[in-house]
Amino acid sequence: MKILKQNFWMVSALLMLLGGCTKDLTKLNNDPKNPTNISYSALFTRGQQQLSNLLNTADYDFNPMNFFEQYWQETTYLNESQYDIFYRGIPDADWNTLYLNVLANLVRADSLAKIQVTDAGALANVHAQIDIMQVMAFYYLVTTYGDIPYSAAFNLVNNAFPKYDDAMTVYKDLLTRMSADIAALDDGSAGVGSADQIYGGDIDAWKKFASSLQLRMGITIADADDALAKTTVEAAAPNVFTSNADNANFAYLSSPPYVNPIYNFFILGARQGDFVACSTFITQLQSDNDPRLPLFFTTNSDTSANYTGGTPGDGVSYFGHAKPAPIIYTPDFRGVFIDYPETQFYLAEAAERGYSVGGTAASFYQNGVEGSIIEWGGDSASAKAYYNQSSVTYATAAGTWQQKIGTQAWIAFYNRAWDAWVDSRRLGYPVFPAPDKAKSTFPERFTYPVTETNVNSTNYSSAAAAIGGDNVTTKLFFVKN
Amino acid sequence: MRKCLSLLAVLLLSVGWVFAQQKTITGRVVDAQNQPIPFASVKIKSSRAGVAADAEGKFTIKAKPGDILVVSASATGAAPTEITVGSENTLTVMLQGSKNNLSEVVVTALGIARSRNRVAYAAQTISGSDVSDNRSFDIAQSLSGKVAGVQISQNNTLGGSTNVILRGYKSITGDNQALFVIDGVPVNNNNTNSVGQMSGGGGYDYGSPISDLNPDDVASITVLKSAAATALYGSRASNGVILVTTKKGSNGLNVSLNLGVRRSYIDMSTFPQYQHEYGAGYGPYYDDGTGFAPYFYGYTGKQGLGPLVPTTEDASFGAAFDPNKMVYQWDALDPTSPYYQTERPWVAAKNGPITFFNKPVSTSQSILITNSNAQGSYKFGFTRDDENGILPNSNQVKNILTLAATYNVLKNLTIGGEANYYDIPATGRYETGYSPDRAPNPMNNFRQWWEMNVDVQELKQAYERTHANTTWNWADPYNGGKPIYWDNLYFSRYQNYESDDRKRLIGNVNAKWDPTDWLSFTGRVSLDQYHWIQENRANIGSVEVSGYSKFLDDFYERNVDLMANFHKNLGTSFNLNALVGANLRHSEDQTTSSQTNGGLALPGVWALSNSAATPAAPAEYDGIREVNGVYGSASLSYNELLTLEGTLRRDISSTLPKGHNAYYYPSVAAGFVFSKLLQNANWLSYGKLSANYAEVGADAPIYSVYDTYSILTPYSGSPVGSLLTTKNNADLKPERTRSKEINLELAFLQNRLGLTASYYSTKTVDDILPVTVSAATGYSSEFQNAGSMTNKGLELVVNGTPVKTRDFQWDITVNWSANRNKVVQLFKDASGQEAKDLQLAGFPFGQTMNAPLGQAFGQLRGSDFIYTNGKPTIDPNTGMYEVTSDVNENIGSIQPKWIGGIRNSLRVNDFSLSFLIDIKQGGSIFSLDQDFGQYDGLYPITAGLNANGKAKRSDVANGGGVILPGVTPDGKANTIYIQDNAAGAAYGFGAAPDKNFVYDAGFIKLREAILGYSLPHKLLAGTRSIKGVQLSLIGRNLWIIHKNLPMADPESGTSFGNISGFQSGVYPSTRDFSFNVKVNF
Repeated sequence: MKILKQNFWMVSALLMLLGGCTKDLTKLNNDPKNPTNISYSALFTRGQQQLSNLLNTADYDFNPMNFFEQYWQETTYLNESQYDIFYRGIPDADWNTLYLNVLANLVRADSLAKIQVTDAGALANVHAQIDIMQVMAFYYLVTTYGDIPYSAAFNLVNNAFPKYDDAMTVYKDLLTRMSADIAALDDGSAGVGSADQIYGGDIDAWKKFASSLQLRMGITIADADDALAKTTVEAAAPNVFTSNADNANFAYLSSPPYVNPIYNFFILGARQGDFVACSTFITQLQSDNDPRLPLFFTTNSDTSANYTGGTPGDGVSYFGHAKPAPIIYTPDFRGVFIDYPETQFYLAEAAERGYSVGGTAASFYQNGVEGSIIEWGGDSASAKAYYNQSSVTYATAAGTWQQKIGTQAWIAFYNRAWDAWVDSRRLGYPVFPAPDKAKSTFPERFTYPVTETNVNSTNYSSAAAAIGGDNVTTKLFFVKN
Repeated sequence: MRKCLSLLAVLLLSVGWVFAQQKTITGRVVDAQNQPIPFASVKIKSSRAGVAADAEGKFTIKAKPGDILVVSASATGAAPTEITVGSENTLTVMLQGSKNNLSEVVVTALGIARSRNRVAYAAQTISGSDVSDNRSFDIAQSLSGKVAGVQISQNNTLGGSTNVILRGYKSITGDNQALFVIDGVPVNNNNTNSVGQMSGGGGYDYGSPISDLNPDDVASITVLKSAAATALYGSRASNGVILVTTKKGSNGLNVSLNLGVRRSYIDMSTFPQYQHEYGAGYGPYYDDGTGFAPYFYGYTGKQGLGPLVPTTEDASFGAAFDPNKMVYQWDALDPTSPYYQTERPWVAAKNGPITFFNKPVSTSQSILITNSNAQGSYKFGFTRDDENGILPNSNQVKNILTLAATYNVLKNLTIGGEANYYDIPATGRYETGYSPDRAPNPMNNFRQWWEMNVDVQELKQAYERTHANTTWNWADPYNGGKPIYWDNLYFSRYQNYESDDRKRLIGNVNAKWDPTDWLSFTGRVSLDQYHWIQENRANIGSVEVSGYSKFLDDFYERNVDLMANFHKNLGTSFNLNALVGANLRHSEDQTTSSQTNGGLALPGVWALSNSAATPAAPAEYDGIREVNGVYGSASLSYNELLTLEGTLRRDISSTLPKGHNAYYYPSVAAGFVFSKLLQNANWLSYGKLSANYAEVGADAPIYSVYDTYSILTPYSGSPVGSLLTTKNNADLKPERTRSKEINLELAFLQNRLGLTASYYSTKTVDDILPVTVSAATGYSSEFQNAGSMTNKGLELVVNGTPVKTRDFQWDITVNWSANRNKVVQLFKDASGQEAKDLQLAGFPFGQTMNAPLGQAFGQLRGSDFIYTNGKPTIDPNTGMYEVTSDVNENIGSIQPKWIGGIRNSLRVNDFSLSFLIDIKQGGSIFSLDQDFGQYDGLYPITAGLNANGKAKRSDVANGGGVILPGVTPDGKANTIYIQDNAAGAAYGFGAAPDKNFVYDAGFIKLREAILGYSLPHKLLAGTRSIKGVQLSLIGRNLWIIHKNLPMADPESGTSFGNISGFQSGVYPSTRDFSFNVKVNF
């Protein structure tokens, strides 16, 4: 005790210091810089923007379809031009973007909207708009990989390793959802409003947009399930886009970060030197004096004023070849989800298949061809002149309707190679020459991500077996040619 | 609070010193063999005032004649000795002990010094001179090869980071870094390197904050490897502790001055070798109607249409050099060049890549003044290192100020304080990894993408003419000068450089109170605080969009420690050492990063306000961690023969959810000095067996409990946000590591030969990690207590003194350790499905580093050969390798088979020579440099003559081409010639799988050699003031005696952190020669 008395101030100091440990430390788990709650619309915009970026990027880490479809050719790093999608891990990159960056945000936006949107009418519209974006994302998953996790997806708490569902079953459910969404859209109520960067929330525009997507989804399965395709297409046809003014374009801005992904990749990422035009596409454009040639490409850098395309799969020089035109890498260049010319080609095909879509194949085809030229900045006179060539005019152009429509849709799908890839697999046209040193025959799908093989192994194996093998050459459910 | 503490420290330190008028006695405490006994206590019996001897047994005390000094070294078990002060001013005190009472004292957890007899776990100590004599600027690097079980990896960059792993990786995604504790105060060693940089992408290696420590101020380093040894430190010590004891003022006035100068030379065995036969081009592709196919373009220069070097092609598969062929080169497109629009002979560059590098001279100066007497002690020091790098415009400066003092306020109360201030600015750190972006890594050019016709000195002249980005890699000769991929390297180094500056204060105030001679209390408040600014630049005219970015990191950590220490002999046979204590730890890290948007408005103005478009809001992070711990330990020793020890700590951590945030760390240890029972066995000087078991816990990373969203830049006014891809977990529990250890220590022949062997086994369970889940869940990973990993290993240290005479002594120390790691559990979901792999890193080109279930941590994966009879299969149709279709094949492992070091020290009279051989055996590394460099035609393998004596690059039809080593599917040796006339035709990526570029990462290096000379004392006797002068000639990384990786140092590559096994654009290593003068006054 004497010791304590003598050293009273020391003991007091010790006790004071110990006094610091009484507070509740668990509060420090709250991150002061990131919110635990957010508005559904913030996630909706994110999901929409991420989907647009993925569909419109030229980055070879995500988009090898520019080379599958032989629009472009890589100058020196030839993996993707030679059908190698593994080198840069593309199957993982696209899968992750769709599930994590697009769908996860949209799924959460949907559940938050149920809490945050109190008006029933508005909620119905919001739900439909979110769901349309989701259906679109799933469309790309199912037409790219085949069977995918769907019914068991987005349920981490109970299911970290979700099973895969049959692709056609998923597809039919997506069609059901799309019909319901179109029916739910009601011009009398509000919707996502300005969170929508396509139409600024215009519900009528969304109806046309959704119907056009429905048309695409219907025609995609025409070979696989003609009856379902017919009802879907016929339901959609009266309500689809009627001009380029209706196009579903994502409105990129003129300064970063929300700039067109090609600007991001080419200019901010300084990668434009990796790409030139492909000879396959240049030959096609030149053979019919296509007015889109100078709109799509610039001439070689040499003094020749030629448009030289690179041979598929071969290394080619940058300045000795035609290059993508600067329009596609301007910061605010449109990001297209679906456009008018595309719908016209679908309708032309529907007419050929005998579906009742209110017009002839030739007229829809002509709308598509001319619409595309106008969309790219051509004038209607040159569009007409181009169409009137016998090699283009529907009646006289060479080949079957699949070849005619396939070829013109392919040209119109320039800079939208993912959609072109769905179409050309299905129609079998155009027929692409095998690239030099091709790693496989024409890619029919992406293989499943490496992560899935490592992590979701059992379900992965079942899915791989169910679709006929996890190979790039396995034809998917909608391809019957 | 932090202001208060800083102020308090300053106040304490400014207390004036009042010294009593007594005589000063200096002395030395030794054992019966005249070996110094460190840290003995010397007290004046009447007043109980006292001092402690230093590590060499030296002490200084003020006393009056007639005072009785009580000298004791309880740690050694020797009996205290009393000496009466007479007229002498110097004293040698001998403490008697048995032969087993080795004088070695081990500093254990919380800085408690104990005799080796009473330590029941592995603890290896090295002296301060072991880390300072080599004049390395980084003490962590100096540990390499010197301590068993410590794996050091260093990056060959200016001020780059050092990875310090003790006994293997224990946590799959956790930090795994050993904790550095300086004089009882844990110091921050957080790293700010980006994830991309650590996985081999572009970025800077900003170094490890531990490199701030001044090697000249280190008295000793003790490495505590087992959990039982470190359990008292709590969770942050779960990866082992490196205890650094700094020099103390304990010996009267002592001034030591160091002056050193260093020059570095590139070790050419780590620099690429090139072919010099072919220049720019990817191959003979370019038949585009100009008439100059296949390698050149037509160009309208002064002479009309002539051949132009394909400047866009950053490869060397172009035309064969021919001095008679006149071509337009890159400089023909530069209007300021004397060769503008002028043809030049087509020849290999006269000044190749090696001429880009400097042979830098670096200097170091330090002064350390210490003093002590009965009233207290002080230490004052200043250090300045100027380190220059091998790259142009690269420099790091270290300024370190040290002030420390103790004062004996009362006879039983000592207060002390210490402040170390660091200012460490750097300019032009080296960009690492694969980084064809801002300030590109020049090694990406020199190892991967380069034209052998480009003269580096001409690039330098071009830059110096205009300071513009005049490049060899023009995108387009017709439409204005702009690089396609690569800037002029000099433009990069001088216009697109980074800079950073870390200003740091580490200090503490402490008090020690000894109310009785068997009880003491220690209290300490310590802080470690720094402000770090990092700036990056890209000027207008760069390949990449121009920009400026700024990263601010404010780190602060405060520790409050209280400890009561009880130490008493119980009767004549037992000794009890017990302690209880508490630790309150608060750390906070705030970062802000911001950058310009869409380019710079004006060139060379490095300000956020110079942004072309409105910059996005800065990204902020504010992470706080608090851990409150209480602990106790008791160690009971019987006759220095048997020691039993138990410790227990309880921590409450802020990073775990309520209910799971408190956890215990128990440990038990037993030691048995069996040589005590073998007193008649003269051959055995010492023998001890010890064993221990401990269980330690660790908390979670900050913010892994509650889910949040991230806020992104609004879209035209609409808010944008996103889910995070990692799901947090409100049910996390602490992770635990259980470890067992057995140690055997033997010494023979009067300690001339010693052996220490340790076997350990650790198992981490409930490892907190973001487990990979299917992305179809909407998340890529989820925090779980899921992983489990084991490490088992053996460590051996043998030391001997083969020769020991008055004039000549030879000491040798060999250490060897092997660790085996296994991932035993990853993640099973509720349905019982189990993840088979956790990807730890994705390298830039598809290769990955993984923790696969059932295998060792750090498996490298990529594409592999398809094998026939164990040999690569060749496709008989193409002559090319058959390659697996996926990139998920095991192609190597980062885990070495064993590591070791051999150190020899020879002393002849006043000369000393020591050298260290550092060995790593096994482990793999994937070299993107070989992959791309071979693809690109830079390396000799791609050129020269084939077996037929024809140029490999000529057509197969004309006898050219090459045969790839391998067998056709029928098992016969491959005999098919293939073309070697274009990038990837026969070599490098595209031609061979990833596995082809996996190399053995082992090495044998002559790490250090030090030749020292101490001026003889009689020479200095006349000067009175100079006590010693030591001259040394030091070589570091002198010679890579053996390695299997061509053209690079297997140690180079990825930096700090768990990721390694990948090389891209690695820097050559340097041989460093230093001359140092050390003067003691």
